[in-house]
Amino acid sequence: MRRAITVIVSLAICAGLLSGCWSQKELTDLAFIVAIGLDKTEDGKYLVTFQVVNPGNVAGATQRGGGAAGVPVSIYTSTGDTLVEASRKASEKLSRLPYYAHTNLIVVGEEVAREGLSGVLDAMERGNQLRPTAHLVIARTYLAKDVLTVLTPIDKISANQIIKTIEFSSKNWGETVHVDIWGAIHCLATAGRNLVITGVTVEGDLKRGKRQENVQSSVPDARIKLEGLALFKNDRLVDWVDGPSSRGVLWLLDCIRQTNLTVSWKGKKEAINYQVVRAKTDVKAKVKDGRPVISVHIQAEGDVIETRVPIDLSDASMLFQLEKEIKKNLKQEVEEAIETAQRDKTDVFGFGEAVHRTDPRLWKKIESKWHDRYFPELDVTVTADMYIRRTGLRNKPYTPRG
Amino acid sequence: MLFQWGMSRQKKRMDVKQEGPDHSGEASDVPQEPLSAELAVNIDIIRQKTGESNDVVIRRFALGQEWQIKAAIIFVDGLVDEKNVYEFVLTPLLQASFPLALEEKERFQWIEKKLAAVGGVKHISDWRKLFFELFSGATVMLIDGVPFAISASTKGGEYRSIEEPQTQIAVRGPREGFTESLRTNTAMIRRRIRNPNLWLETMQIGTVTQTDVAIMYIKGIANNEIIEEVKARLRRIDIDGVLESGYIEQLIEDQTFTTFPTTYHTERPDIVAANLLEGRVAVFVEGTPFVLVAPALFIQFFQAVEDYYARFDISTALRFLRVLIFFISLVAPAIYIAATTFHQEMIPTQLVIAIAAQREAVPFPGFVEALVMEVTFEILREAGVRLPRAVGQAVSIVGALVIGQAAVEAGFVSSAMVIVVSITAIASFATPSFAIAISARLIRFGLMFLAAMFGFYGIMMGILVMTIHLCSLRSFGVPYMSPLAPFIPTNMGDTLFRLPTWMFRERPRLINQKNIVRQSGDQKPEPPAPSRQEKGGGS
Amino acid sequence: MIGEMGSAQTDKGGEIQLERIKINARQMFVLIVLFEHGSAIVIPLGTSAKQDVWIAILLGLALGLLVFSVYGRLFRYYPDQPLIVYMQRIVGAPLGKLLGIVYVTYFLYIAARVLRDFGELLLTFAYPETPLFVLNAIMALVVMYGAYKGLEVLARTGELFLTLLYVLALSGFVLVLVSGIVDLSQLQPVLEEGWNRVWKTVFTETLYVPFGEMIVFTMLFPYTNNPAKVNRAAIAGMVFTGVNLAVIAAINMAVLGPDAASRSAFPLLDTIRRVQVAHFFERLDVFFMIALIIGGFFKISIFFYAGLVGAAHLFGISRHQRIVYPLGLLVLLLSVAIASNYAEHIYEGLKIVTFYLHIPLQIIIPVLLLVIAAIRRRFGQSTK
Repeated sequence: MRRAITVIVSLAICAGLLSGCWSQKELTDLAFIVAIGLDKTEDGKYLVTFQVVNPGNVAGATQRGGGAAGVPVSIYTSTGDTLVEASRKASEKLSRLPYYAHTNLIVVGEEVAREGLSGVLDAMERGNQLRPTAHLVIARTYLAKDVLTVLTPIDKISANQIIKTIEFSSKNWGETVHVDIWGAIHCLATAGRNLVITGVTVEGDLKRGKRQENVQSSVPDARIKLEGLALFKNDRLVDWVDGPSSRGVLWLLDCIRQTNLTVSWKGKKEAINYQVVRAKTDVKAKVKDGRPVISVHIQAEGDVIETRVPIDLSDASMLFQLEKEIKKNLKQEVEEAIETAQRDKTDVFGFGEAVHRTDPRLWKKIESKWHDRYFPELDVTVTADMYIRRTGLRNKPYTPRG
Repeated sequence: MLFQWGMSRQKKRMDVKQEGPDHSGEASDVPQEPLSAELAVNIDIIRQKTGESNDVVIRRFALGQEWQIKAAIIFVDGLVDEKNVYEFVLTPLLQASFPLALEEKERFQWIEKKLAAVGGVKHISDWRKLFFELFSGATVMLIDGVPFAISASTKGGEYRSIEEPQTQIAVRGPREGFTESLRTNTAMIRRRIRNPNLWLETMQIGTVTQTDVAIMYIKGIANNEIIEEVKARLRRIDIDGVLESGYIEQLIEDQTFTTFPTTYHTERPDIVAANLLEGRVAVFVEGTPFVLVAPALFIQFFQAVEDYYARFDISTALRFLRVLIFFISLVAPAIYIAATTFHQEMIPTQLVIAIAAQREAVPFPGFVEALVMEVTFEILREAGVRLPRAVGQAVSIVGALVIGQAAVEAGFVSSAMVIVVSITAIASFATPSFAIAISARLIRFGLMFLAAMFGFYGIMMGILVMTIHLCSLRSFGVPYMSPLAPFIPTNMGDTLFRLPTWMFRERPRLINQKNIVRQSGDQKPEPPAPSRQEKGGGS
Repeated sequence: MIGEMGSAQTDKGGEIQLERIKINARQMFVLIVLFEHGSAIVIPLGTSAKQDVWIAILLGLALGLLVFSVYGRLFRYYPDQPLIVYMQRIVGAPLGKLLGIVYVTYFLYIAARVLRDFGELLLTFAYPETPLFVLNAIMALVVMYGAYKGLEVLARTGELFLTLLYVLALSGFVLVLVSGIVDLSQLQPVLEEGWNRVWKTVFTETLYVPFGEMIVFTMLFPYTNNPAKVNRAAIAGMVFTGVNLAVIAAINMAVLGPDAASRSAFPLLDTIRRVQVAHFFERLDVFFMIALIIGGFFKISIFFYAGLVGAAHLFGISRHQRIVYPLGLLVLLLSVAIASNYAEHIYEGLKIVTFYLHIPLQIIIPVLLLVIAAIRRRFGQSTK
């Protein structure tokens, strides 16, 4: 009898428990926000832009003939004193529950970045929806909102377009860096390292870029383009670097996987093209006379992929000479980057961290003055080993004989 | 706790049996009294008791030179081999001259001699035995003036011939399957294990049906305790009829309140033989091709017979695949529900957007959609199994085209859901044992429900409860999950893994405890010694 | 096992009576490993030692083994009795009973605490809208079911789930390595602030949770069929777990860095969330969840079972199944009632429980018991 009662009681408890589905959310009730843009309004509030996927208009739905005509993403904006407030307010315009777990891109407007990232990152880290692996980029020249409104042709969702561009470009060319929320916070919380984030901008006519016609033309009126690296000091953007010196920064961050170096040969500029296939950078700190000294060693191997001068690449001594030339070129690139950072008084390379690891006691003393006093006067020696492994299918270039 | 209930009920039932009226049915009014000496009286009684059923053939004749001794043979048409009856029972009696002077006892000896051509000659003195023999296919002979009967085994009649088994089909392996005839079935095993230690014990179960049930085991390999336990449980059965081994299975299993089978049934003699060699006990039931094997382990249901005939590496891979299949058929819809209604963050972005795009037009919540599709599928399957083959095809066409395609096109269900349901369905067909596939079917719905309530947490909790339950099960005292839990390293060679045959040194530990070693340990096949090889090469 | 066969059908209830269950040393090892991993892999264990967390864990293990040797010795004195029974022999019935009640309460309270931890974790990272009570109740029901089935079944379930957990852990480990987020330089500088920080962590955290919690196994050791092997199994289990935990903590630290790891509520979750391999093996939170559920289940179950058996012994109840429901309900209600928010719960755990419960009950009392038992033994006053 007692047993029967306990069974009934536990069944009743079960029934009571099962009567609600608290955390359940149907797919059709969710607004998948794939990208967030952050700008400042004139009265100092945050202007938050949400790029929401319109699932009916992306691949997968088209087979049902749904709405291939519509745009794949839709933009919502709202303002608020904090990020969280703005995102809650967005529900006034959204018919669905904003869902951030698939937000893979955060575009921060240049203005916000110059004022400091700290105000926005905590909410991103604390919430359990937003992934720490979401990419972070800085909108350059244009507002973050503008960047997100441009429609893109190949990857229909422009957030994906930007992410993929960052990934492949940092792999193949190496002037962009992939920074996620987690990495950004990690940098901000680490004393001996400052933040570098890739910039993104719009090329072409912004107004026409928002229309569907933009993706129906083989030459879109507006395109999204990655441009330069934003150097941060603490949580504020202080400077942009472009071109070769931005690659110099990435060499020092050990972020280069593959890239191309062009060197001059016997007076002819940009004569030989060297492709890096594998690269590794070691940063070591030493203490000399009570002051830290940094030595950077870069090691890379790769192939010669183009020559525009007659050169016999089957000759090993030629290759050694060429290697030296490449080394010189690389060193210049890297040193330029260091100079820029030292001028801006921001140690984006993590030299401070290296010092911390080698001599924690010294670091304790100089930590607070590192970026402003020690880093700008830091002695950095750059050494490099560049190996040419292969020269492609030809030993010598052909000689044009008219 | 459910079990406790079952137990107390069982006790009550047994009490009732002791006090209450005999419920063993019609057969009980057959008196256990002796036969009459007069032939006419006996024949009348037989007529009356069988309700003058016309398949009970009574053939009167007379014996002796003067034909003055009346006699009769009685048999049931269809159960006997009529040719045998006439040729070996009737003819010898009629042709011989019956010595009148003989005493009663000597008459019988004389008849027995005459019937030497047929086997199983028995003396019968009471009615109950007479009817039992009669309905077992024997020919009963009555003689006027003698209060005894003689029965001769003339079993025969039509049986299904040996065919390829319908379930548990193997690409490689013997093609014969059990039939409905118990004797044919036991003979198939005898043919495989030619050893006097292969013991067979028969008993009748079913107060009305008096069905033959036989226990077979290899003396010296099978564990005596298990044999005794099986016998004890069989003896305890008190039921009016046994029409299939399923009746027996349900009455002897360790626990009723479980969806998992704790005895193994098979249609294949090679599986039974292999199990006997491992020390298990087989239970044959007259009238069904399904033979029970006990004790059964969980892992057995993932082992197809072909595993042992095929190469070990492929068998191992297939076994892992089967466990995966079982898992898919268990949790696939539940995971779909959990992932699409609770844990959208765990699906890669591209995929979640694709699924969301499909679900855009679907008017039901994910759980309802999944439940409807699963139930639909179960209906289709049930229809397909029960219907005649010709109609069955029509059902599958309607099912595939109308329910599948039309539902997706109409936007009632998403194509992702259809994919999930199809994978689940195929997975549940691919499980080698139907018995375990069925239990997965039931649990699947429970897990779907849990998934709809609590997402992955619910699924994990369901699986946890299921595992605890599985670990608490025993089959004839042997832990159901062994040798995985309790973990027995030496028996791991034949679980999910199937090691090369030469490495199967031991029988399952928990099933046999004494006679463990099954083969010598140095059987690894090796190429011939190099010198011989050279010689062979030279010649 | 066959021995019970005769009664297997009708007398199943009797089989799990207190005296008759027996598990082997391997199963004991499995239970210890699962128990020790329990919540330790998911909570921030010893992260206040920053990059030296692995040292803190290994030191915790070393000291834990020392503490365990006390329990082991006590078990050798009384190989067929649980703590609560031989305690009464050592210090006499009245005081022993009192201490027994304290220990039973302690086990049930810790069971409730772990249940609370578990519910909070689940709530924070996956079910923000679900009431804590509901999540806890589901777990409590499953724990009650497991405890009802008994130690033997728990041990077998453990054998299956340890395999699963280990497969998960290894694949997780490989994925973390492959995704290239491990930066071993984050473990440097070693011993930046000297040994002080490490010792402080050891004596406030890692010694008691999980290693000191081995006290609960003094209730279960008598149920093994080979007492000679038990101590070895337990030590092997502790060392195995300790090394595993140290590796996991070091990986967390190397992936997250000392700052993020010490700020994180669930370092392992943060580590797993950072895994991205081949654009497919990402968002693997479910790995974390499975580890959390398996570990949580076994930890709660073992504490609960120890409490259950202890209470049965104290109050002379022949079948522990009878008190599963009331005590289970108690643990469930306690888990919800002990703290009004997570911070309070953690504060209680780190400050109050450590000093007022862990230290006396895990270390002081067992040591005293051992001393008294040894003295009695020497002077031949043992009541054996």
